[in-house]
Amino acid sequence: MSKVSSSKRVLVAMSGGVDSSVAAALLKDQGYEVIGATMQVWDYTNCDITEGSGTCCSSLDVDDARSVADKLDIPFYVLNCEAKFKASVIDPFIKAYLEGETPLPCVNCNTYLKFDHLVQKMKELDCDYLATGHYAQIVTNKNNQMVIKTSEDDWKDQTYFLFTIDPAIIPHLIFPIGHLKKPEVRQIAEDKGLVVAKKKDSTGICFVGSKGYDQFITENVDPKILETKKGLIKKFPTGEVMSNHQGIHLYTIGQSRGLGMTYHEKLFVIKIDPADNTVWVGDEKHLYYHDVKVVEPHLLQNIEDGQKLKVKIRYQHKSASAVAKKTDYGFDLHFEEAQRAVTPGQAAVFYSEEQHLLGGGWIKL
Amino acid sequence: MSKEIIYLDYNATTPLHDHVLLNMTDLLLSWGNPSSIHLSSRSPKAILRETRKKIADYLKCSTLEIVFNSGASEGNNTVLKSVWSTYGFDNPFDHKIKNEFIVSQVEHPSVLKTMQYLETLGAVVHYIPITRTGEMDIQFIKSHLNEKTALVSVMMANNETGNVFPIKEIAALVKKNNTLMHTDCVQAFGKINFDFEDLQIDYATFSGHKFYALKGCGVLFVRKNSPYINLIHGGGQERSRRGGTENILAIASFGLMLDQLSEIEKQQLRILELRNYFENEILNKIHHVTLTGHDSTRLPNTSSLVIKGCDGETLLVSLDIQGFAVSTGAACSSGNPEPSPTLLAMGLTKAEAQNSLRVSLGWMTTKEDIDLFITELIKIVARLRSLSTEEVLHV
Repeated sequence: MSKVSSSKRVLVAMSGGVDSSVAAALLKDQGYEVIGATMQVWDYTNCDITEGSGTCCSSLDVDDARSVADKLDIPFYVLNCEAKFKASVIDPFIKAYLEGETPLPCVNCNTYLKFDHLVQKMKELDCDYLATGHYAQIVTNKNNQMVIKTSEDDWKDQTYFLFTIDPAIIPHLIFPIGHLKKPEVRQIAEDKGLVVAKKKDSTGICFVGSKGYDQFITENVDPKILETKKGLIKKFPTGEVMSNHQGIHLYTIGQSRGLGMTYHEKLFVIKIDPADNTVWVGDEKHLYYHDVKVVEPHLLQNIEDGQKLKVKIRYQHKSASAVAKKTDYGFDLHFEEAQRAVTPGQAAVFYSEEQHLLGGGWIKL
Repeated sequence: MSKEIIYLDYNATTPLHDHVLLNMTDLLLSWGNPSSIHLSSRSPKAILRETRKKIADYLKCSTLEIVFNSGASEGNNTVLKSVWSTYGFDNPFDHKIKNEFIVSQVEHPSVLKTMQYLETLGAVVHYIPITRTGEMDIQFIKSHLNEKTALVSVMMANNETGNVFPIKEIAALVKKNNTLMHTDCVQAFGKINFDFEDLQIDYATFSGHKFYALKGCGVLFVRKNSPYINLIHGGGQERSRRGGTENILAIASFGLMLDQLSEIEKQQLRILELRNYFENEILNKIHHVTLTGHDSTRLPNTSSLVIKGCDGETLLVSLDIQGFAVSTGAACSSGNPEPSPTLLAMGLTKAEAQNSLRVSLGWMTTKEDIDLFITELIKIVARLRSLSTEEVLHV
């Protein structure tokens, strides 16, 4: 493996998971001066999250990150980001649910913590680069610009969460595992004897944990406010009242289980109307849309009016082709094939044919 | 990490003194249980006896007034809870209820958190204010002492600012009111000489690891006939006042350091000179730096600074990367989202506490260390300020 100049210092965001641990290990092998850091984003002292069980950044995970850093013989620090995390991730997360949307807190965490706060720390700590364990790659495009490309591992690709990155910082970023597939990453962890080699992948939302988001909302929102979120479940499109519900924050578009009623055909949540707290349910066919509004766009590269894009409308979505028409609020997307469960609060993320990340925005119906 | 560090965090803990290090292997052979009857108990028994004697000689008290425990947090808990159990509501002694305490706002968490706990049981606690320059409001104590005051607890010296409080004066006031007096001597012990007997206090707590000995040995002085109720019940150790097999190794290391007490005077002067040199250099070479608590009597080794525009946590990490160990009152990853209660109590704003740095020197600190530290600090502050959004710092 080629060695970089020993003077290059890199700050690695380490969550205590296998991906960022291997990222740190690879950088060390490549000859960087590596400094590990975990962001402490949430005070876990008083909560009963089952730690280390598929969420990131809990206190046991901090121990794992520290143990990996010891093994690699690199400095390691826990940086307190609780206040910033609460203001820019947790509060908007709660607000979105209360407005009938399904939020995407990982994007905000990337926008305001990993690729803002940590970029600032990178500069302050006199580092040349910031590295993370994201499944994403940085390549040079035909205009000789450094751009973000999807990872080799299609299934794990995390570029969906990166569309708010400031393109100016891309030359300062390293994604050391983006060219690898997950089993290869685990193998490296095992070969290097890192304690996290067999650890479960993080899947859930780190601060919500195994108890579920609805429980999290209940514990963190004034009951008087939750009371105002109750309403009716109505059949779409007839308007027939089906039952009452305990709050719009308990529903998400496309959901069919846990609706709390029996009906002779399978019903899905089609639409949530925060204005009168109506949860609309109906036949699955109503979940399909050709046209999607995208607001508050953030672009890493220029997009022409009428350009054909590949678009992901949620993390585990296999992108679909759409034509983007510029509007005053952002973009109107017209998909070639109708898309299922287009969900407000989730992102629509744009890619080029070469899988380069072009940008994205937030879905409104 | 094996890298040599320049250690300037002596108020957190101290490196082991050579006298302790060199004797450690021999001491490990005293592994016996001092409570046993057989031969293996002889040398641990001797360690307990001799260390206790040395402490009593130093404090000019009886060996019967010394209790070994795990450290000053245990000592402070023992004192406060003993007094509450003796005079608080529903005490089993038919004592008249005394449910008021007076403690300073800047006590160690082992005092403040215990007070908060006792408040939940009905204790009324009056917190003595401290000014930004480190002055304690003695008048506050006078005006709050009454027949319901069970105990006054004031530390001899503060861990964050080094401020030394007038314990003798306070103890005299307290005695006049026929109230018990406790002082936490952790930071003062070994850094300055004081005439303990002259202070006339009822309880005092000490810790070995702030004085070049091992962690895990604390000393609690309890004046004869003062209320005492076990925190830990168990075997008959410490004349049945503290259950649990004694930490002989740590106690022995503490004993070894008591042989070094005569060094304090010399070190005190040397360190004071270094600290003053450090502060002068920093104030001259870095703009927008203020000292906290510096207008009052201070320990010779402690410097508490506010460096505008420099987040304490980032400053610490930057310094650590370069091999310097210091401390901050900023909200850190220690699970405490709030900055130092001590600094806030002294009237610093949250932003100032967030920009605080504590430098504490010790017996192994050299002028060369300080010079290297000053050079590095100037560099780091310049970098952090160049990245800061606060306009004033760029001029």
